[in-house]
Amino acid sequence: MAGTTIVVTSGKGGVGKTTTVANIGTMLAKMGHKVVMIDADIGLRNLDVVMGLENRIVYNLVDIIEGKCRTQQGMIRDRKLNNLCIIPAAQTREKNSINPDQMKTLCGELTEEFDFVIIDCPAGIEQGFKNAVAGAQKAVVVTTPEVSAIRDADRVIGLLEAGLLRDIHLIINRMNQRMVKRGDMMSTTDILSLLSVPLLGVVPESEEVVISTNRGVPLVHERGSRAGTAFQNIAARLNGEDVPADDGRDVTFMDRMKRFLWS
Amino acid sequence: MLKAIRRFFGEKPSGQVARQRMQVVLMHDRMDISPDIMQALKNDILNVLSRYMEIDQASIRVDLEQGKEYAALISNVQIKRIYRHAN
Repeated sequence: MAGTTIVVTSGKGGVGKTTTVANIGTMLAKMGHKVVMIDADIGLRNLDVVMGLENRIVYNLVDIIEGKCRTQQGMIRDRKLNNLCIIPAAQTREKNSINPDQMKTLCGELTEEFDFVIIDCPAGIEQGFKNAVAGAQKAVVVTTPEVSAIRDADRVIGLLEAGLLRDIHLIINRMNQRMVKRGDMMSTTDILSLLSVPLLGVVPESEEVVISTNRGVPLVHERGSRAGTAFQNIAARLNGEDVPADDGRDVTFMDRMKRFLWS
Repeated sequence: MLKAIRRFFGEKPSGQVARQRMQVVLMHDRMDISPDIMQALKNDILNVLSRYMEIDQASIRVDLEQGKEYAALISNVQIKRIYRHAN
């Protein structure tokens, strides 16, 4: 059976697309799937650093598309999981060095071999966005509980639907339940009623995310991290599992007990 | 403390302010409807109206109007005859 191509997009930059791609991709691979992640942000390559693979790059996405190397040569295998690969973006090329048709062909080719092809979309809604979206069957829109991110997410959802990509799911990143309780942040319910797309998961704001990207090891490798658990649940839902909603809530005493007993 | 005083004087929590502002902003953003969808909307309006009255199909006008705090759809259609029963 052919795999699924998922594009992770947001409109606004800096909301956590690359972190989301790295964590979802890694978790799906940990579950035993064959996964390839494509960094489609040509000129601003980042997925390789977040995954800790920056020293292994030889070829890149544009090289593959231009036929300068075979697809297999252009893929970099993960350090821990051998069923996980990334295709890095070209750093010294321009966004229009590839086109949507070429991306579609590449994604089609990759889904024959991989269960999941996950595309890290660049910020913005120009050529780079169109390229990243072209080959996808499913879209994951990442937003944060801030007005600018939500407005851009709404715009992107509109563009995806106009391009006939209707399988759209939302991730709310950097949720701060303490601020929501205080009334100083829009809640999950508020955001869902504004954007009206189904929720895939809520990721709590956490220092652990910064620490894990510093090290180049995705959070889902660790146990007992709240943001990591949120990403694990998101990956499970993408895998078709029915995981109950975790509203990015605060850790309770019972959670600590469970964590203590489990680890 | 300062916050408590502000709340006392009726300042809304910022989360609520954000939600209300976004409701208006997103509505304005989404009003930029494509011609295809506009045409489909016109056809649907015509179909519904035609069940109750005979109308001049060519006369229909649909406009979206934006105020500062509201958005409205204004439609004008010329009626030729009203049926006694819905068809």
